[in-house]
Amino acid sequence: MKRGDRGRPVSVEALPFILPVLLFMLFLVALPVIGTLINSLFRDVPFLAKRFMGLGNFVRLFKDPGFRESLLFTVLFVLISVSLEMVLGTLFALTMNEESRLTPLLRVAILLPWVIPVAVGARIWQLIYNYDYGLLNSIIVLFGGNPVNWLGSPGLALFSVILADVWKTTPFVALIVLTGLKAIPEEVYEQAKIDGTNLFNRFFLITFPILRPVFTVALLFRTIDALRVFDVIYVLTGGGPGGSTTSISLFAYRYFLLGDFGLGSASSVILFLIALSLSVIYLKAARFKEAIT
Amino acid sequence: MSKIEILGFIFVLGLLLSQGCKKEERLTIAVGGAPSEVEYLEKLIGEFEKETGIHVVMRRQPTDTDQRRQELVIALKAQERDPDLFLMDVIWVPQFAASGWLEPLDDYARGSGIELSAFFRGVVEGVDRYHGKLIALPLYVDGGLLYYRKDLLEKFGFSPPSTWDELVRQAQKIQKEVRKKNPSFYGFVWQGAQYEGLVCNFLEFAASMGGGLTDSLGCLTIDRPENIRALQFMKDLINRYRISPPNTYTEMKEEEVRLFFQRGDALFERNWPYAWKLHQADDSPVKGKVGMSLLPSSADGRHVSTLGGWHVGISKFADRKKEAWELLRFLVSKGIQKRLLFDLGWNPGRRDVYSDPEVLKEVPQAAVLQSIFENATPRPVLPFYTRISEILQKYLNSALSGDMEPSEALKSAQKEAEAVFSLYEKR
Repeated sequence: MKRGDRGRPVSVEALPFILPVLLFMLFLVALPVIGTLINSLFRDVPFLAKRFMGLGNFVRLFKDPGFRESLLFTVLFVLISVSLEMVLGTLFALTMNEESRLTPLLRVAILLPWVIPVAVGARIWQLIYNYDYGLLNSIIVLFGGNPVNWLGSPGLALFSVILADVWKTTPFVALIVLTGLKAIPEEVYEQAKIDGTNLFNRFFLITFPILRPVFTVALLFRTIDALRVFDVIYVLTGGGPGGSTTSISLFAYRYFLLGDFGLGSASSVILFLIALSLSVIYLKAARFKEAIT
Repeated sequence: MSKIEILGFIFVLGLLLSQGCKKEERLTIAVGGAPSEVEYLEKLIGEFEKETGIHVVMRRQPTDTDQRRQELVIALKAQERDPDLFLMDVIWVPQFAASGWLEPLDDYARGSGIELSAFFRGVVEGVDRYHGKLIALPLYVDGGLLYYRKDLLEKFGFSPPSTWDELVRQAQKIQKEVRKKNPSFYGFVWQGAQYEGLVCNFLEFAASMGGGLTDSLGCLTIDRPENIRALQFMKDLINRYRISPPNTYTEMKEEEVRLFFQRGDALFERNWPYAWKLHQADDSPVKGKVGMSLLPSSADGRHVSTLGGWHVGISKFADRKKEAWELLRFLVSKGIQKRLLFDLGWNPGRRDVYSDPEVLKEVPQAAVLQSIFENATPRPVLPFYTRISEILQKYLNSALSGDMEPSEALKSAQKEAEAVFSLYEKR
């Protein structure tokens, strides 16, 4: 009889119950990942003979200025948008946690963007950013300013894409942090109040440490999600202007579309490795294991 | 649970999974596009079924062109027997052909006595023939053309421009006058957003000034002086002459351009033939005020249109090739092509339709259209054209946005495109 992770034996009786999950993991997670890894080592283009390249595809990618640009964009996008989402999401969660007559309304307002499909949200933002009749420019013109070409220059396009993403996904962070807040017993705060701690100390000395695992989960989800950002950009800028808002996913997608499965896979593998290492770093840094056990 | 039961469980699961893979032989066609177009094709295919007794399964594809392509690439790479035949955007044809995914059609065409001379020579030779073999036929063709406001040109005593200089002069003059009443009026709208349409526009500007992406030997010449001049001119249209709106390079795609012109906010419009019918619709503010002509050229250049359109090909892995050919022949036949022109506004790839008396009566612009397609030039016939196009899109757009100088942008594009060539050229 085999021994499980924590020393508990895995019985034959348990197998039928684990089997569906195992099969699911095997077919839908492990096999595609392994397949992509293998593909990334080959020149796999339908109009050329298949050839083993070793790490040639990766070397080629890092020599490609387009790929380096998309790597830089993706890192910037993740850094800025995830930081904003974490801060705003926490503030939203703290607001929603306060009971008042307005709370239900507030909750709906804060969570609404999360309910809207990403592509639809991006279309809405496209209308807001539109040069001719967009909401933003209408307001600017109303106050006597000159219309701004929101998606027209690399810097502004980065800003506009991030804003759309922050609007869309902050509710997700808020929701996760809120569940964490709900689990903190009220007595802890009452005790702190009696001891005379102020609002900031209450947050940084009580709430934050207790919520650390929750923050880690939110951060992890958001980072991985932001790393593989695709739809917002596909709809809003198509990767432009120039290649300035091409995320790695969009970059890989273009290669798959061309039929170059080798370079497409290699870009995806790089994305996978970044996500994997960040996850490991987060979990280690947050001492996640100790926190939840 | 005993081991036998577990084995049985796995067996049943396997059986269920394998069930989906069993396929019978059938004729399948993959069709996509706007819902109304797909419905119309469905009707036509119904007629084909009645006429021939061949059962056809129609596989509906997404509306989005990239997704349609993705679906086909996956099926063909896996050597699926379905679909037997499918529609291809003109720029996919070289890739599909070079990958060996398309059935050569020469024997079929000979066997059923199809006259290839009935089609536009440039289209068949430039797109449908790959390494000497016929691998597709045009379902419909497209080409860039110039729409103009007849009423405004007449009012100011101009005739449609034949050179770019004329276009700029007329646009500046009329724009200045019309703006007194309509401040959002612009002289000339075209496709400048970062997507394939930008490359189509650029190729027209460049070729009309004597440029092009490759020289006569097929070597890349993206950064040649004529091309730099063309790109500078496109930039000047926005920044110097100010006859094209500043959001040209961020938002202007076909539909944005069409709506801009249709609102009555532009004098000239570069677009594809599809816009004609919409401009002439009853609710269109410019109804009856629109004319179409060939795109202008430089004083010593020629009038050029980028060739667009969709082609039908048969899969190398098809299990019903003979029937697939029958359906293909039906779709490109003169009678059906005429109906597609009347009902969907799709322009036939056959020349003989344009001289048809009935067509001349129903479609007054048929002669202009015919000369556009006689002058249409295909985009470079390369299996990796999309990659080259993406590089161009990026750098052309950077130049238009003022991020890079035109010469610098095209030099970088040339360098990156050369790298792509060395990566994908057959060795």
